[in-house]
Amino acid sequence: MLQRYWFGDVDEQGCRGAGTDPAALAERATTLRTGMEAYTPIDWETARNCGVARDREGYINLLRAVCTRLAREKIAVAYQAGDVELLQMVRTLDELDNVINLLSERAAEWHQVTNPSFSRKYRRLPARKMLDIIRREARGGLSDVADEINRLTGVRGRLMREVSARADEVMPNVSALIGGLVAARLLSRAGGLSALARMPGSTIQVLGSERALFSHLRGGTPPPKHGIIFQHRRVHNAPREVRGRVARVLSAKIAIAARLDYFRGVLVPEFIDDAQRRIDEAGVAA
Amino acid sequence: MIWIGDVLVSPGEGGVYGERMLEGYRVWDPRRSKLAAYYLLGGGLDLAPDMRVLYLGAANGTTASHVADYVDVVYSVEFAPRPVQDLLEIARRRKNIVPIMADANRPDEYAPFMEWVDLIYQDVAQPNQVEIAEKNLIFLKPGGHLILMLKTRSVDVRRDPADVAAGARSELERHLDVVEVRWLEPYHQDHAAIVCTHRG
Repeated sequence: MLQRYWFGDVDEQGCRGAGTDPAALAERATTLRTGMEAYTPIDWETARNCGVARDREGYINLLRAVCTRLAREKIAVAYQAGDVELLQMVRTLDELDNVINLLSERAAEWHQVTNPSFSRKYRRLPARKMLDIIRREARGGLSDVADEINRLTGVRGRLMREVSARADEVMPNVSALIGGLVAARLLSRAGGLSALARMPGSTIQVLGSERALFSHLRGGTPPPKHGIIFQHRRVHNAPREVRGRVARVLSAKIAIAARLDYFRGVLVPEFIDDAQRRIDEAGVAA
Repeated sequence: MIWIGDVLVSPGEGGVYGERMLEGYRVWDPRRSKLAAYYLLGGGLDLAPDMRVLYLGAANGTTASHVADYVDVVYSVEFAPRPVQDLLEIARRRKNIVPIMADANRPDEYAPFMEWVDLIYQDVAQPNQVEIAEKNLIFLKPGGHLILMLKTRSVDVRRDPADVAAGARSELERHLDVVEVRWLEPYHQDHAAIVCTHRG
């Protein structure tokens, strides 16, 4: 029975080695297809007799060189897909939001204790304006922090535009349906475009509301209507009674759009037009 | 296994992930490594210098590096690109780790590189963990061992961990003799080490 191994072919007649050059061996290894019914694992001494290596150390060393080369190639291919960097970009964006909110809240608290008569009540004072006041009035550490928050806000704005633009490139159809930013957030939660393209619409519908979903599965609580896609205006602007329906139709269309993005990679206007119409219909109260 | 007092250690070059050193040995932390937890809780299947090991789900190679300190060779299978980057760096410095980037669900992908092994160590977060173990038994010598770190939460979050473990045990008993089932509390929640012997 012929066995095809990384170092060569082995059968009853003997062994034909494929040389000792790691690059050539790695190249050859990518072409091997193993049927598991007739497979037997390697006896390394066969490889030695085949002239692959003089001793066990040499055998393992060559094998490591080949496997390392193959792994590096596979990593390079995996990172080539445009969604890998987008994933990091959108996660960084979410972290920035977190940091900015935390720091702003803390800076506001700090500022209040330096001004006994200060209160935010009745002043319609969002964090952003509050920050301007702090930057004007405070000094020392607090004013440094306020300046830094301001800078981070700038970073966040620029990164958001970058994320949106990249999402338009990587997932043109999903972005056309729900906008680049929400599209990128879905991608991030799914873990990549290939994962998103393999998800059913019903999963996409509740991506980002895992807590509510699992508390529903574990017992009693009502199921979530929407997760990340709530951020899309057609879901959060929809009247309460039809919001679930809009979310359902929208996520079904996103599932199709994600597959178009993954397998074709170009915008399909006919699909988008039809999908937009269906989603709008779902939003009309019965 | 090597113990200094009641601290589990392994012999090898340190500094892999910032582990503590003790009298020139690498401290093997049960909170970071499920295999270390297994030994600290009295697990009896020791690693030996002539062992060949297939490690499924090697991730960043933290535990794999300790295993490599004890045995002849570790075939380390990991699928996700980011951890494989780290695994490759560890394999570069440790001459007995063979890094394999492949899916443990598809043993045919790495079969051309595999020799017979004495031990399969599996730590993968997949719902079909038992099935993955069974598919890989073709590499395991008769009389060889399987240590399956069963992540019950990955199999089914809704079921009671003890039920999941009992189910896994009876499935494994189709091809293997189950030697022990050891829960890894307090170091790891809802994880059980299932140790089996291959009937072959």
